[in-house]
Amino acid sequence: MEALVASAVGVMTAAGIYLILRLRTFPVVLGMSMLSYAVNIFLFATGRLAVNLPPILDHAGAATAGYTDPIPQALVLTAIVISFGMTAVVVMLALGAFIEAGDDLIDLDETEEAGQ
Amino acid sequence: MSPALIAALPFLGAALPALLIRTGRNNAALAAGVTTGLALLGLLLHLPAVLAGQVITAQFDWLPWLGLNANFMIDGLGMLFATLILGIGLLIILYARFYLSNQDPVGQFYTYLLLFQGAMVGIVLSDNILLLLIFWELTSLSSFLLIGYWKHLPEGRQGARMALTVTGLGGLSMIAGMLILGNIAGSYDISQILQAKAAIQASPLYLPALLLILGGAFTKSAQFPFHFWLPHAMAAPTPVSAYLHSATMVKAGLFLMARLWPVLSGTPEWFYIVATTGLITMLIAAKIAIFKDDMKALLAFSTVSHLGLITFLLGLGTKAGAIAAVFHIINHASFKAALFMSAGIVDHEAHTRDLKRLGGLRKLMPVTFVIATIATLSMAGIPLFNGFLSKEMMLEEASHTGWMGNPWLVPVLATVAALFSATYSFRFLAHGFFGPVRDDYPHKPHDPPVGMWLSPAFLTVLVLLIGVMPMTFAGPYVQMAASAVTGEALHLHPIKLWHGITPALMMSGMAVLGGLAILAGFKPLKAMWEATPRPEAKAIFDAIIAVFAALAEWFTAALHNGSMARYLTGFTIASVAAGFWAFAGGAFGPETREMLPVSPVAIAGWVMLVTASASVVAYHHNRILALVLISIVGLIVSICFIYLSAPDLALTQISVEVVTAVLMILALNFLPKHTQRGVGPMKHLFHIAVAGVTGLATGLLIYALMMRDFAFESMSAYHLANSHNLGGGDNVVNVILVDFRGYDTYGEVTVLGIAALVIFALTEALMSGTASKKLIAWRPDVARAGDKHPIMLLVGTRVMMPIALLVGVFIFLRGHNLPGGGFIAGLVVSIALVMQYMASGFAWTQARQKVYYHVLIGIGVLAAGITGIGAWFNGMPFLTSDFGYVKLFGLEPFEMATAAGFDLGVFLGVVGSVLLALGGLSRMARRAAVGDEPAQAHIIAEKPAARSGQAEGAHAFPPETNLPRRWAAARGYTSARQDDEKIKLPKVPKPKMPSVKKTKKKPTKGEGK
Amino acid sequence: MMSHLMIAPVVIPAFLAPLIVLWMRFDLRTQRVFSVAGMVVLVGLALALASSASVNPPEVYKLGNWEAPFGIVLVLDRLSALMLVLTAVLGLVVVLYAIGSGWDKRGWHFHSLMQFQMMGLNGAFLTGDAFNLFVFFEVLLIASYGLMIHSGGQKRLKAGVQYVVYNLAGSTLFLFALGTIYSVTGTVSMADLAQKVAMMPADDTALLRVAAVLLMLVFAVKAALVPFQFWLPATYTNAPGPVAALFAIMTKVGVYAIIRIYTMVFPIGGTTGTLAQDVLMPAALVSLVIGMVGVLGARDLGRTVAYAVIGSVGTMMLAFSQFTQAATGAGLYYMVHSTLAAAALFLIVDLVKERRGAAGLAITPAPKTLTHGLLAALFFVGAIAMAGMPPLSGFLGKLMILDALRGEWTIWAVILVTSLIAIVGFGRAGSTVFWKAYATEGDPPEGPRDASAPGLAFVAAGALIAGLVALTVFAGPATGWLRVTADQLHHPQAYIGAVMDGAYERAAEAQAEGAALMGHGETEATGHEAPAAAH
Repeated sequence: MEALVASAVGVMTAAGIYLILRLRTFPVVLGMSMLSYAVNIFLFATGRLAVNLPPILDHAGAATAGYTDPIPQALVLTAIVISFGMTAVVVMLALGAFIEAGDDLIDLDETEEAGQ
Repeated sequence: MSPALIAALPFLGAALPALLIRTGRNNAALAAGVTTGLALLGLLLHLPAVLAGQVITAQFDWLPWLGLNANFMIDGLGMLFATLILGIGLLIILYARFYLSNQDPVGQFYTYLLLFQGAMVGIVLSDNILLLLIFWELTSLSSFLLIGYWKHLPEGRQGARMALTVTGLGGLSMIAGMLILGNIAGSYDISQILQAKAAIQASPLYLPALLLILGGAFTKSAQFPFHFWLPHAMAAPTPVSAYLHSATMVKAGLFLMARLWPVLSGTPEWFYIVATTGLITMLIAAKIAIFKDDMKALLAFSTVSHLGLITFLLGLGTKAGAIAAVFHIINHASFKAALFMSAGIVDHEAHTRDLKRLGGLRKLMPVTFVIATIATLSMAGIPLFNGFLSKEMMLEEASHTGWMGNPWLVPVLATVAALFSATYSFRFLAHGFFGPVRDDYPHKPHDPPVGMWLSPAFLTVLVLLIGVMPMTFAGPYVQMAASAVTGEALHLHPIKLWHGITPALMMSGMAVLGGLAILAGFKPLKAMWEATPRPEAKAIFDAIIAVFAALAEWFTAALHNGSMARYLTGFTIASVAAGFWAFAGGAFGPETREMLPVSPVAIAGWVMLVTASASVVAYHHNRILALVLISIVGLIVSICFIYLSAPDLALTQISVEVVTAVLMILALNFLPKHTQRGVGPMKHLFHIAVAGVTGLATGLLIYALMMRDFAFESMSAYHLANSHNLGGGDNVVNVILVDFRGYDTYGEVTVLGIAALVIFALTEALMSGTASKKLIAWRPDVARAGDKHPIMLLVGTRVMMPIALLVGVFIFLRGHNLPGGGFIAGLVVSIALVMQYMASGFAWTQARQKVYYHVLIGIGVLAAGITGIGAWFNGMPFLTSDFGYVKLFGLEPFEMATAAGFDLGVFLGVVGSVLLALGGLSRMARRAAVGDEPAQAHIIAEKPAARSGQAEGAHAFPPETNLPRRWAAARGYTSARQDDEKIKLPKVPKPKMPSVKKTKKKPTKGEGK
Repeated sequence: MMSHLMIAPVVIPAFLAPLIVLWMRFDLRTQRVFSVAGMVVLVGLALALASSASVNPPEVYKLGNWEAPFGIVLVLDRLSALMLVLTAVLGLVVVLYAIGSGWDKRGWHFHSLMQFQMMGLNGAFLTGDAFNLFVFFEVLLIASYGLMIHSGGQKRLKAGVQYVVYNLAGSTLFLFALGTIYSVTGTVSMADLAQKVAMMPADDTALLRVAAVLLMLVFAVKAALVPFQFWLPATYTNAPGPVAALFAIMTKVGVYAIIRIYTMVFPIGGTTGTLAQDVLMPAALVSLVIGMVGVLGARDLGRTVAYAVIGSVGTMMLAFSQFTQAATGAGLYYMVHSTLAAAALFLIVDLVKERRGAAGLAITPAPKTLTHGLLAALFFVGAIAMAGMPPLSGFLGKLMILDALRGEWTIWAVILVTSLIAIVGFGRAGSTVFWKAYATEGDPPEGPRDASAPGLAFVAAGALIAGLVALTVFAGPATGWLRVTADQLHHPQAYIGAVMDGAYERAAEAQAEGAALMGHGETEATGHEAPAAAH
């Protein structure tokens, strides 16, 4: 199981990195969400894996069955929420840049001096 | 007066001229004069004591940690230099008053001059080498301002920058030297350092320290090979040249050598470095001076030569040498300042300083002639003038100085140098003042007003007096200063005009005669000189600087070329490399966990995930397809969360997935639907490699982590144990979020709120200004479905709406005990609303919306905060939660924690930000589609002013969104396009944003003329 | 009962910002009044906290009344107090400038975003929990995104995209690092981490080192250390002037985090060895060189300053990378200086840009502007400070750093040579922009039309200069205070103790009470032994 998760994280990271190295904003944004999948699973997996042990206390003799580690889940939740906000912003920003500049190239022309 | 105050006075007074200039140039000059005069007076009050061998000190702790103390002392040397600086300063202030024209900003001039003066006095009076360093650099800065005083002249600007660069270089090397010296001596106080001769000269760091310090001294005093900057500093107004570049600043280097003479001199290193440099400088500069046609240039090189002379004397390391050096410092200051001022007078009257165009001034300006003659003869080393005496001493010393065992070298070179200096002196006089009166002067010269020749005249009187009666007028001073230099009270045997026929006398005799001889045959020599190619120092310097600047510019631009791919590649590679490096540096323990069994489901999921990710990469050029594929990835991720017993995560992930997808689709509506292939094949492969390695590294890392149990239990055991009893919830994750780590969630809510604000502000910026025009110009690039709002979808969503809301509330409430919570609830509700928008159009929904996004967001963040400070009222820290069981009619009793306030915050934050982003998008869409709906419907709706039609244009905020139009738009629903043409045009050119005009302007490199 | 003052620097802006959005979003004047008032209050708070921190040992504020490591705690020690003061002062000046120059009129929500920015910064400086540090990094980042693209415009938006994307990458790396740390140590509370890391068995440090280094890189991104400096130049030059000035503190967030974590959690000679030093020293050296070379090579005034910022970060990191008390003290002094100097220069540069018309900031000759002399003088002083020339604090800071790095001759050489490069660079830029104007024909471009109170703008810039002068004059007391701060940093036991001493015991009591209250103690027994056992 661990091997599967680890390799999946690896694949998604690779995909994400590849995408954020593109020249246009849209694939870069895709790459960012790809990376956030990867990092979310990564963070989640740092609590070690467990199947069918959700961290929801049931008082009917739950003492016997253990629970999976809730902390990483909480952290991942926070991370997801935040990255959601970030994604919303970056999407709008990329769109704005496209409308202003007329192209969605992510590179800057540094030979011109600062505008505005 | 305290030495500190003497040094401070010029700084304190510096502001006055700049202010008083409005009341006239005289007042500015007067203020400067009075300040200087006061300082001089305060100084001279100490003269008797200092002559008697005392040292006046004043000490303040400034930076004790570093050993940088504001310690000042007046000893013989300091007294001598301070008198020169302030005395000549006074004369210069007078002279400058008449020299500068009405066009020049005289107030600035005196301010800079006083700053410089203060810095100089600071150097000579400071008893702490770090303090000395500070004043040292200040002289560089203030002289930068003075040399560049005529800002419109390129020579001025370049000369200033050259001086700053060279002396700055020296200053930096001196910093190093001084720090080393201080570390050897164990203190930065000069009086302490002077005690540590043995320790310093024994230290292995002696030579480095010596070299670094001399680096400072030589650059400042324009010693070979750093002599080239001084002549170019002559672009400054003549008073500046006379003051900085003859009398004071250039002598700072000499002062430093004299100051540290007791501890640094006396070693062969000292002798061979300092004396040799001095000798070479003396010789070379004198030779160059002969052939200069510009009076100031001639004087400049002669100054360099004389500085070399003094350096040479100090370099000898003998007492007699020190005495001669001190004496010549006095003499040179007097006659050279006078000469510069006379040159300035000639320039001022004849409008040229070119010896080729002058001559015959003897008759036209007799006063100036007399002054110049006396000073020149002193410079040439003619008896009865003070220059003679100190030059005799120099030659005397030279006559018995061997160099590497060679007894002839030094005397001969010294004589030749003397000969040269006699030559240029005579030439200055002959070509400037003698000869026939010409009629082609650019301006008919005559003697200047008294105020202008008074200062040089005064100096020439000194020249004569000292020349005739040295012991009376200079003796005590020389003795005082020399004792201070050598560090022991020596009484000097009388300086006499006549010592009988000594080698020195013969040498200077030869010099004078030879000088006359060369002048006789000047023309051919000049021709020869012109013929011989010489390195032009300025050209070389400029070239070097230009090369460095160009390199720097190229390097900087090439490195930061704006390519995001490069930046991120660097980021990734650095991270992976650092990770491997760190890993390799530590010990790696064995695996301690065995792998969980792999179920077929898991394998299926894995295959799907990998395929989906791979195809996202493969098909990312087709953006819509890529979007679909990435949503699939997200879907599988959330399934994976369910499988790995994280229901909350799964729910969150999937709902985030939906909303994100919707947002991106809407954004994609504007963006191109396809991505052109950009990078070349090699780079592409490189990117693939980087991505692959990073992925591999990440996978290995997480695998290594998952397969191990480390030394410590996770803290989560406590949370599991207490979330019910102390947190009042069974869903441990949720309890952690809203209670144990509620502060994180607080931050999280804020992030959402801010995100919404940012999106709103961004949309506003796009809807107004230039972007809006582009939007209107925009046309859809793919065919649209004929039916704008398909009826099925419409009905469906209307039915769905209440159900969705109900689900939202349910998820919200159960969150604390079962999977769910504010965030998910928020997303569900927003999805429901989003569907309304998609089905019925923005305006339709808008019109039926009673709450506004800003309100949602604001309340959201506040709700979280209030939940937090609620705890204060029962004396608990921020965010302390409480919970109890609520019984609502017809429901099971369910538990409510105050922490639910947070969930509420999250809920509102989510809904607000999603809808704002969406609102922004659809507003753009309608602006682009030029629909028949008002451009900023929902802002109007939000705007109180717009609802009750009062207060037109009151606090228009921001200017782009001025009220009347909004209001008009709100009343009569004019079409977006019309109101765009009506309103946008007048305010497109914004005062602060002329980028359109200027973007293509390429900056020029270096200085143009 | 601990005082609630400690949380106020986070809560006050967190309340003010939404209130500004809710009530005042249509009236600029009210916004300005409240924004300034808020900043003034923050300054007062910061000073109060600093004064208490300078007499007391580190104070702890347990959020939700949960003991660390189970809950999040705020910790106030001298360093965090210092950063709070710096932030508040900068915030106040920037708001005043934005009002004076009319920048806040040029887009929506400037003031509320400023407040949120303050909240994020203060939160980051106060928190004692690694993951919470991440959260507040995000708060301050997303606020900075908003400020960076304030009032839009093509170049600004494009630069904004790069800034956001680069920092998203940084945040992702942060999560990787935190995950690794949690998985190795089972905790994210800094003080607890420090204890656990110290107890880490020597035969299992590889992954811990990975965590340490990844975390270091995250902070390097914020501090703009090479090779993570790429985001800085374009961002700072394209951001609105006051925002760029505020960003002077943003790089310091990274610096702060590095000092905090690598003096306490991963100290030199701890279980991770000299890792921090090995990474920082070369990075700092290269940053210094690249930054100062950039000062000479930059094509416009804004970039000149931006590169100077990179260089100054390099300088101070050279000091911090020594991990000796003297060097840290010197570094702290230089940090305070360079923050004020950079902010001042960015404001001055913005003043120039607003008045230079079409020429903008290009280092090319252009006609004289209005108030040319004053601008030139301000720039001259600012450049002196930034280049570390006497008499201003930059020189003192540099002297102290050199003095503390005695024996590291190569570093000496680099610092001194780069200073020369910076001097030449500023000299060229200044004389071209300000002096050549006297030789350039043409009528002066008219000043900014929408400036509300130009005088106020100048005052704001001048205030920062005045701050530098004060820092120079009172260098003695200042360095005295900072030395003690450095001492506190290099003896983190006080910090750790303040958080952790008796924490587990108190947590156990709380658990017992809870069990008694709710009446089923059986499930808890299993839970609690574990963390205690870890001790």
